[in-house]
Amino acid sequence: MKKLLVVTVACAVVVFAVGPAFAAMGQGRQNTGCGLGALAWQGKADSTLFQAFQATTNGTFGSQTFGITSGTSDCAQPAKFVSNQRTNEFVVANMDNLAKDIARGQGETLEAFADLLQVPAEQRAEFYQKLQTSFAKIFTSQDVVLANVVDNVATVSAKN
Amino acid sequence: MRFSAFLFAMVYGTSRPVYFFFVILSIYFFLVPVSESLAADQSYLDALLKSAREQRLSEDRYWDVLLHYRRHGSGRKSLIDDPRFFLAPDGKTDPVAELEATLKSFFQAEQKDGDHPRCRFVARYAWLKEKLGVDELRLPAPACTEYNNAMERVNPHAAALIFPTTLNNSPASMFGHTLIRIDSKNQNELLSYAATYAADATDTNGLLYAFKGIFGYYHGYYTILPYYEKVAEYSNIEHRDIWEYKLDLTEEEVHRMVMHAWELRDIYSDYYFFDENCSFDLLLLLEAARPSLHLSDVFWDNKARFWVIPIDTIRAVEESGLITKETYRPSQSTRIMAIAVRMKKEDWKVALDVVKGKTSPQVITDMEMAPEEKMKVLDLSADLLQYRYSRKEMTKDDYLKRFLPVLTARSTLGKQDADVYAITPPTPPEQGHLSGRLSLGPGYRTDSFFTEIEWRSAYHDVLDYDEGYTEGAQVNFFNLKGRYYFKEDSLKLQQLRFIDIFSLSPRNTFFKPVSWKVNTGFDRELFRDGTEHLVYRINPGGGFSYKNDIFGISYAMFETDLTFSNALKQNYALGFGGEAGFIKKMTDLWKMSLSAEGIFYEAGDEHHKMKASWANSFKVSTNNSILLSLSREKTFDRYQTEGELLWRMYL
Repeated sequence: MKKLLVVTVACAVVVFAVGPAFAAMGQGRQNTGCGLGALAWQGKADSTLFQAFQATTNGTFGSQTFGITSGTSDCAQPAKFVSNQRTNEFVVANMDNLAKDIARGQGETLEAFADLLQVPAEQRAEFYQKLQTSFAKIFTSQDVVLANVVDNVATVSAKN
Repeated sequence: MRFSAFLFAMVYGTSRPVYFFFVILSIYFFLVPVSESLAADQSYLDALLKSAREQRLSEDRYWDVLLHYRRHGSGRKSLIDDPRFFLAPDGKTDPVAELEATLKSFFQAEQKDGDHPRCRFVARYAWLKEKLGVDELRLPAPACTEYNNAMERVNPHAAALIFPTTLNNSPASMFGHTLIRIDSKNQNELLSYAATYAADATDTNGLLYAFKGIFGYYHGYYTILPYYEKVAEYSNIEHRDIWEYKLDLTEEEVHRMVMHAWELRDIYSDYYFFDENCSFDLLLLLEAARPSLHLSDVFWDNKARFWVIPIDTIRAVEESGLITKETYRPSQSTRIMAIAVRMKKEDWKVALDVVKGKTSPQVITDMEMAPEEKMKVLDLSADLLQYRYSRKEMTKDDYLKRFLPVLTARSTLGKQDADVYAITPPTPPEQGHLSGRLSLGPGYRTDSFFTEIEWRSAYHDVLDYDEGYTEGAQVNFFNLKGRYYFKEDSLKLQQLRFIDIFSLSPRNTFFKPVSWKVNTGFDRELFRDGTEHLVYRINPGGGFSYKNDIFGISYAMFETDLTFSNALKQNYALGFGGEAGFIKKMTDLWKMSLSAEGIFYEAGDEHHKMKASWANSFKVSTNNSILLSLSREKTFDRYQTEGELLWRMYL
């Protein structure tokens, strides 16, 4: 019984203290993809204890001190649109939330997207509705990437 | 220079006197302008230096702010540790030399684009230029393309202080984070930038990480990132609600702040988790915006309080009158519950089946159900899919296979009212009780009355009122309890807990978190000889908790308990056991907890311990409460009863 207990405790200690060392590590800000599901965990480990300490000491992993851009260098760039770099970065970093907002016809991510595309305020309602009804034409498959999404938005919003 | 060489070539081979004349002329062209401009530079620099001395600029408040100087003995010393931040060799400790070296550096010849001190130390330059009336035409004009591009992108106009609340199930994030959002004009806030100060850490071992964080082994850097990245991190990955406080700063002030952040680019300071931490260093940015603010001094000069907790810095900023408006940005898990509470419970299962891939979203659109209800089912499904994927509870492939069809189905149903899932903001964190706590009052134990005094440094426990805090998330940090026993006429240390975390995260249909606890420190305990001795304890545990209307939060945990004392046989006891109980807010002014704990020590000094506790906390005001507690304990086959009535002040 004693032995069993000691072993149990020892295991618990090992799991708590060493387990996080196995956690996935992010070196710098990874390019996590150009499409849906490109969620950047940025080396955040799963262990509660580690997360607790991480929050405690406020670490970043591999700092890029003026990371004002998110990077889309590995992504094929849209062709049709007056696509500026900021729009592309925004779409890459927020594609899941943007897709969700377009499907719902409203939301903050969609508003920010319209800001970037400089859609005039009076045309917003129509723009949002158009995107919502054309959702399947914008997000054509689960493998859709930046270039498709932005180009498809261009096509869809150009049509009357 | 080129002109003189050209002349030289042109006249080469002509008659001697003419040749001579041109040689002299070319020497004149060659040398005089250079030496003349050097002399002119020197005299202009001298004039600037003289003016700076006359104005005592090196003693100016703003120079202290820009260089992060603090009083140090009879002089001043900068908090910045990176030598690249200083232009004078002893700039860290010599404000005068640093100012003069800075002025001198503006006369340096042009360098690689962006390398010139004028590009690197933009805020210093702007301030000195204004104070000394510097004539820019008399200085070299270096190219600062990167800086100009960054400024154009960030386009500073207004600023907000950002406070992500406690990380779900990780109460230690009370030392969480604050950041500053830089807003540009007429643009969605998601498109703003965020300035933050953080440790550049690469260790993933929690303990090593904490150790290095506490003792300054990490370098801290200021960073500026797109705000949407931070929102994604807090809302969609860590699931923390965010409070945003708009700041009453002018466009010019915000501009100054960003310039100063630029100066600190790639510049490190040793990071100390307790004081020179993210929240403290952000205050320095606010002072760079408006030097008449003395936000950081309170924290730096008050050595009795050697830690800086984010929420305390929010309070300091609020007291300075800088906050104009506060906004609540609920995390994704909060939004999930906001959708769920508006649905029929039987529809929850429908949504969960979609999430699990058992039901195709197409089936939902074809179901006989009001369109609004279908929208809710699909909205909940989409958010839950994102939640599970962010928790790594499903593979990317499964996620994509389900997420996109859910949205496609949802897009055919139209729009809901914008506020259909509206969330009433909870009490903002700065309006909760203060984080220190002093308790005083009488008590009775076995056969003796005592007076107890207790000091807790920070931050919140399960019996404190939860307004502004996360319910069920306890972190007691440095809790000291002393007792004076009348019968024995003796003063005793009753308890010294360095850390006491008790994290209850209720499980429900959608979220399945684990609850856990850990505490360590000294406790005074009853031994088999009937006397009390101090033991050192390490007590971790884990289990589940649930929330309902009858019991409030109820919980059950397994735990191990390791105690050391020379009063124990073999000097230690190692036990295994459990604890169960509930915590309920009975009325707005009465919170109650009931718990039972049993531990069987099987290694070291073998014995067992049973304890039942009942505690009540009555709210008097935000920062005052009364605690009434009763407990009965059996240990080493001895019984002990204890009762206390304490007045608690939060300060």
